[in-house]
Amino acid sequence: MNVISKKCVHLLKSLVVCSALFTISAQANGPVGDHVNHLSKHLPAYEKEVHWLIEKVDGIVSRYHKDGAKAAHADAVVEHWEAVKFHAAIETNYVLVYASIWQGLFAVKESIDKGLPINDVRKEQTKLTQALWQGLGAVKMAATLQDKGLLAQIQTREGAPTNSIEALDTINTRLNRVVAKYAEKLIDTSVKMVAETYLNLFEGVEGELIALDANLVEDLEKDFNVTLPKAIKSHASVEDVRQIVATMTNKVNRASTLIKNNANNKKDVF
Amino acid sequence: MHRRTLLQTLSLASLAGALPGLSISALANSIKSYSVEELPKLEGELTLYLGRGEGGLYEDVLNAIKKRNPNFDLKIRRGPTAALANMLLAEAKAGVSRADLFWAVDSGAIGQVAQAGLAKSLPTDITAQLKPEFRFHNWAPITGRIRTLPYNPTKVGSKQLPTSIMDLPNTDLSIAWAPSYASFQSFVTAMRLLEGEAATIQWLKAMKQKAKKYAGELGVVMAVERGEADIGLANHYYTLRLKSGKPDANLTLAFTNNDAGCLINASGIISLTENKTAIDFIRYLLTTEVQSYLSSEAYEIPLAGNNAPPQGIPTLDTISPPNVDLTKLADVRPTLTLMRKAGVL
Repeated sequence: MNVISKKCVHLLKSLVVCSALFTISAQANGPVGDHVNHLSKHLPAYEKEVHWLIEKVDGIVSRYHKDGAKAAHADAVVEHWEAVKFHAAIETNYVLVYASIWQGLFAVKESIDKGLPINDVRKEQTKLTQALWQGLGAVKMAATLQDKGLLAQIQTREGAPTNSIEALDTINTRLNRVVAKYAEKLIDTSVKMVAETYLNLFEGVEGELIALDANLVEDLEKDFNVTLPKAIKSHASVEDVRQIVATMTNKVNRASTLIKNNANNKKDVF
Repeated sequence: MHRRTLLQTLSLASLAGALPGLSISALANSIKSYSVEELPKLEGELTLYLGRGEGGLYEDVLNAIKKRNPNFDLKIRRGPTAALANMLLAEAKAGVSRADLFWAVDSGAIGQVAQAGLAKSLPTDITAQLKPEFRFHNWAPITGRIRTLPYNPTKVGSKQLPTSIMDLPNTDLSIAWAPSYASFQSFVTAMRLLEGEAATIQWLKAMKQKAKKYAGELGVVMAVERGEADIGLANHYYTLRLKSGKPDANLTLAFTNNDAGCLINASGIISLTENKTAIDFIRYLLTTEVQSYLSSEAYEIPLAGNNAPPQGIPTLDTISPPNVDLTKLADVRPTLTLMRKAGVL
């Protein structure tokens, strides 16, 4: 493998949520199917679905332009998305784009509901289309990695992290999923996910971390318990929530580096 | 002399009386400590259900045991302690036996499993390695944690600190607490058992008027250190950890006397099988090496052998925890009902 492809693999693997730590929870459209463990086989179907979705959204926007909001049936934007299998493929493989897709879906729907000028609606449609193609690209890359055995199988039950480094990786994954759920407008689910991530994962790491950087722990404590839940409950924009999570993710990465560097200083048990 | 110390002394005295020639001090120091070098090699396969503990420190212990025993295959199922306890009960009900051992981070979960008749009796040489007040016939406590009152000396100044947890809401101190936290709920369970439901709900209601709520107990300790509150309720190790990362932290530990406020809870292990390897595995957790590792790295209190507690807390014989059967702390449902009634949850 050359350096560039190694870098690509590393980048995608770091973004990919497809890991033993991913929990198959009840989704907005039901459980994730096993097709996500056979991506290559399903790529043609996913591609067809993306084309179909783009056409459907274009149809809705065109009807809005021609006959107005009532005729457009903007609610169907979300229904169409939930009807396709690609939905699960992107959620389990690149949750960051999954969040962008939800953001785009609602942006199209809401701009129609608000009766915004067609140019504004088309702008949102373009963003959604870009997110869908980005998503398909990510799934294609994930399929390649999966075929080479470089991705862990997506589990139907969560495996608990075995050390602080794994816990911190899982925290980042969960935080990205919080953005996705928030973009899906699942406010209560998002708040609950933040609380559970704090109690079940961050709490177990803080003890080790606080001895290394007390201020960092204090910062993250505030992020988990005040900043992020407050932004979600006050219906901040998806962009704002994404920004808070991005900041938290940077802090979590710093924590991870500290703990990795400290591993050599740990005394042996025996 | 504290009541507990007195009781221990009396029971040691009566035992000494039954064993002529054996002095009380000899009995107190007769707890046998073993080094890992004295233990048999582990061989074969075991399945351990491991309750979520302190970061990767328990994992470090398990990895070290595995490394020393190349012919030993340890399968681990990890999860929240309460969830694993429920799983064991459900598996037993279904006639399925998957786990050989259950290492839980609180004795309430141990009690739940033990009361269902799933815990096997341990050999007396294992229980003899534990401090006398932590000897149980069917489970082995591994490490302890004490309920404490961390306070900010710069804020408290000359104000009187309560020596009884029941008096805390009557002081003019501002208080931080984490009522949704599992350790806190175990402490309220102990209060319910010791003081009764009426006194406990009254205490909860009075506290609710005064206390500021935090998600976890490290948050409580940090809030006290920042001066958001004068005093908090938390397990001891949160303060020790914060002080290790921030040695000049404005934090001091206070202890109440002989009540739920200074309850000592324990992590512990149950053997669900009489398999010799499972019993020998427990011996590894009680060794001087593991006990001192958990003390120095996780700030937990060693309960086996004669290992010193982590720096920053007094020795167990200088504080007076209440006399509570730790396994009764499993009965948390009435506690949650009380807490909801009081409007705390």
